[in-house]
Amino acid sequence: MRKFLLPLLFLALFISESLFVQFMPEKVFGQSKILVPHFLYAGLLFFTIYVGKNKGIIYSAIFGLLFDIVYVEVLGIYLFLFPFIAYLVTKVMQVMQSNLIVSSIVSLAGVALLEIGVYEMNFLIHVTDLEFMDFINLRFYPTLILNAIFILLTGFLFKRYFEKVSEAMNDD
Amino acid sequence: MPQFFLNKRLIILLVSIIILVALIGFSLRERSKLTWPEQFVKDTTGWVQSLVSKPANSLAGFFENLQDLQNTYKENKELKTRVEKIASLEAEIQALKKDNEDLRDINGESKTLRDMDPSPATVIGRTPDRWHEMLIIDKGSLKGIKKNMAVVTANGLIGKVKSVNQFSSTVQLLSAMDPKNRISALIQSDTNVFGFVQGYDDKQKVLLVKGIPSGAKVEKGQTVITSGLGGVFPQGLLIGKVVDVKPDQYGLNQTALVKPGADFYDIENVLVIKRLMTQPETSDMSDGKEEDL
Repeated sequence: MRKFLLPLLFLALFISESLFVQFMPEKVFGQSKILVPHFLYAGLLFFTIYVGKNKGIIYSAIFGLLFDIVYVEVLGIYLFLFPFIAYLVTKVMQVMQSNLIVSSIVSLAGVALLEIGVYEMNFLIHVTDLEFMDFINLRFYPTLILNAIFILLTGFLFKRYFEKVSEAMNDD
Repeated sequence: MPQFFLNKRLIILLVSIIILVALIGFSLRERSKLTWPEQFVKDTTGWVQSLVSKPANSLAGFFENLQDLQNTYKENKELKTRVEKIASLEAEIQALKKDNEDLRDINGESKTLRDMDPSPATVIGRTPDRWHEMLIIDKGSLKGIKKNMAVVTANGLIGKVKSVNQFSSTVQLLSAMDPKNRISALIQSDTNVFGFVQGYDDKQKVLLVKGIPSGAKVEKGQTVITSGLGGVFPQGLLIGKVVDVKPDQYGLNQTALVKPGADFYDIENVLVIKRLMTQPETSDMSDGKEEDL
């Protein structure tokens, strides 16, 4: 049972992103900015930080592929970026302490990197023709604020749960 | 970072970049249908999503009802004044419909571009990274949904079916940027003016209707509907209202900025529209020389 809990948690985050966007009104606080939830990826980054590099990268690749197939229909973008940024995050965490504040900031930076990476890729394949400055104002800041709030709310839960998972894995 | 450039890692990075480019190239191709693993994964997650999103829909509906209650009195007053008008309008429509049918019978033309067959569907998901602007609906090819069918809400056209699986399908919204996404539109005025819906302005939240001849008179407030001449959509689906007109880059054509009638956010139920008039074959539309449309 406990084995299934981890994929189920990520699946729940995966679906919650879609639900969040589906029920969000056009204007939030009177401003029509674009808020992009990256709940799943924030969770995956915490998982990578607390459980380990290899498992984190494998999970990132699997859920990146799932994300590509189900939501985006362009294979490869998230399949590549999810594990790549997870790898960078493990490199950064090698020189830092993994306390709650540091890992929250690092995973928020990872989400920011993901958002920029996806923008650049979409710009390359002409899915968008948004200028970079417009992208920053219209999408980037609001998205970061949204995900910062999410990490603030759930960060310590993630930490506690993933530390438990990590211990259980070491015991096996 | 000297170890980053160790041989093994560099090779892994290069190989994954090659795979990335190959995969993107593969999926950006004009695909008539998704591969079966993709369809399988989409159907499976679609099933899970519909399990979750139906209770979520009813919960959201409950809160919406609560909000509606606040304005009930004011709305009721307004609606009462409209009801009287509607009764007379209905009578008029009945008479016109009958007239139209009789005249068609005389002419011997029974089918029109307007004939359509709507089937309802529920939205079970939406692309969270909001670049691609797609919805997932809970009806698939088993319920007769096909690629490129028009999708509308009560307030107007929102997009077309992009890909179909067995039990679910994906809808691409008009607000997505896709050069292949061209819809033949008709601006209703004294003389009908034709153009193409081609692109969406993210900042102003308006659709761009391009290719209107520069002599044509287009004014603010005129209604834009689908023309049915594109061969895929039926005629008469509401797109929106003109808010501004400006000449295009070279001054040969005009571009109308159209405020969409439908809200592209917070969509719960949609209608997938099947056109009853026969669809022309691609070979009939071009003479074989100009393949690149």
